[in-house]
Amino acid sequence: MSTALPTRPVLHSEWIKIRSLRGTFGSLIAILFVTTGIQALTAAAIGQAEEGAMGEDPLLAAFYGITFGQIAAMAFGATALSSEFHDGGLRTSLVAVPNRARFYLSKISLVGGLAFVAGQIAGLATFLAGQSFMGPHSIGLGDPGALRAVFGCGMYLTLMALFAAGLTAVLRSATAVLSLLIPFVLMLSFVIGAGAEGMAEFLPDRAGQMMMRAEAGSVVGHWQGLGVLTLWAGAAVIGGWLAVRRRDV
Amino acid sequence: MNSIEIRELTKEYGRTRAVDHLTFEVLPGRVTGFLGPNGAGKSTTMRLLLGLDRATSGTATIGGQRFTDFPDPLHRVGALLDAQAAHGGRTARAHLSFLAAANRIPARRVEEVLERSGIASAAKRRIKTFSLGMRQRLGIAAALLGDPGVLLLDEPTNGLDPEGIIWVRELMRTLAAEGRTILVSSHLMSETAAFADHLVVLGQGKLLADTSMEEFIDARSTPRVRLRTSDPVRLRAALAREGLEMVGADDGRWTVEGIQAERLGPLAAREGIPMLELSDERASLEQAYLDLTADHAQFAATR
Repeated sequence: MSTALPTRPVLHSEWIKIRSLRGTFGSLIAILFVTTGIQALTAAAIGQAEEGAMGEDPLLAAFYGITFGQIAAMAFGATALSSEFHDGGLRTSLVAVPNRARFYLSKISLVGGLAFVAGQIAGLATFLAGQSFMGPHSIGLGDPGALRAVFGCGMYLTLMALFAAGLTAVLRSATAVLSLLIPFVLMLSFVIGAGAEGMAEFLPDRAGQMMMRAEAGSVVGHWQGLGVLTLWAGAAVIGGWLAVRRRDV
Repeated sequence: MNSIEIRELTKEYGRTRAVDHLTFEVLPGRVTGFLGPNGAGKSTTMRLLLGLDRATSGTATIGGQRFTDFPDPLHRVGALLDAQAAHGGRTARAHLSFLAAANRIPARRVEEVLERSGIASAAKRRIKTFSLGMRQRLGIAAALLGDPGVLLLDEPTNGLDPEGIIWVRELMRTLAAEGRTILVSSHLMSETAAFADHLVVLGQGKLLADTSMEEFIDARSTPRVRLRTSDPVRLRAALAREGLEMVGADDGRWTVEGIQAERLGPLAAREGIPMLELSDERASLEQAYLDLTADHAQFAATR
């Protein structure tokens, strides 16, 4: 089993791969800047207009930028994997690292690790930057649930990146994954949300955002929500492994 | 420990049998040409050897070990499978760097192979701007990274200019002389003849020949001479007594099959027939190869 564990050389190799692709590295950086930037701009524009202008839930409203930041996170996860499925890239990679378990685990760990770092920084920066424009309506890190929400924001971005990464290993195309996942995450819970309130809380985006809500959902709690999104992402990552494990390349 | 052992190797894709109970060995110290028409199973055999595809049955090992069990594969085997198999968005240096990093190969070795492959000046360029010939050189650079004892090169001269082809030829000969095992696939006999010492020929996934280049030529070319004489009538009669036939060729020359110059010359001398020109003609290797594989070509134009 230890032969499947990531090693430093393989992680280093995966890091060079990510760093050397503009789109992938750009998406990683964008997780941070888009989430924080949109939050700051929106808060600056309408934050002080009236109580609740950013949304009914002041805590969730502090992470409004995540709606856009999550697209960067998904693009990061998807393109980090899809580069292996263009032009026989996987062949080249597997000749250097023929142990597929080690290859896949290293790649997923690095994607998850980088998204975690970018996500956590984004979570904290988004909260602080956004609130600095909120004037009288602002909340602080000491307020109830604020730290949980900051951590939850980072985890949300991390898990969305892994969700997209796993799916890309199954479908072998970032375009397919993003055109499937973005509507799924942005629109589905919005469309069915009103009707089926209870079940909708199990959708990946709804569940993952529980951490950032002041009030938990009717069925899914704050931390349970994180668990539900972890299951979604975990299922995608395992699906990706099953696809990579045996496939002829 | 650097020989390649293929034992009863079989690979089926659905109902098509791409490789059919293949058994052969590739030994170090010489260049082995891996020949066969398109679709004969050459690339599949290489992919099976590298664990990229899973064999339906049989084994393919290097020094008795499966490739996928090597902890440091690039130090053991260098492979050029498909010159296109590099992400166009990366620079040549980044492409080689991630391969090197995965196998603990120092960064200075990347510069060495860039230099050796003649693409050092293009190291910072994105691969999508590369010509096929440059991609081929990059692929060879990647194969050389770990200074491996075994090299698998799938159509390495594809897209190279004449200078590049000579470079690859020299490179393979040098590497073989250093005691490495070199397996080079090609679908062109004429090209392979220029560098291979040994031949493994496939047709429809089956082994058609596993022999040295010399034996292959000798076994498959019928002796033939080309001559010019001032007295074809007497020579024709003399040859007829030997059971040979003289056939008219262009510009007043004649060809005779089934005899070599060292026999025909003395024969003509005994008869006192003046010979103006006499030379051996070997049936071309290309033709011998085409004859061998004709029945086994998967895709052949009908005439």
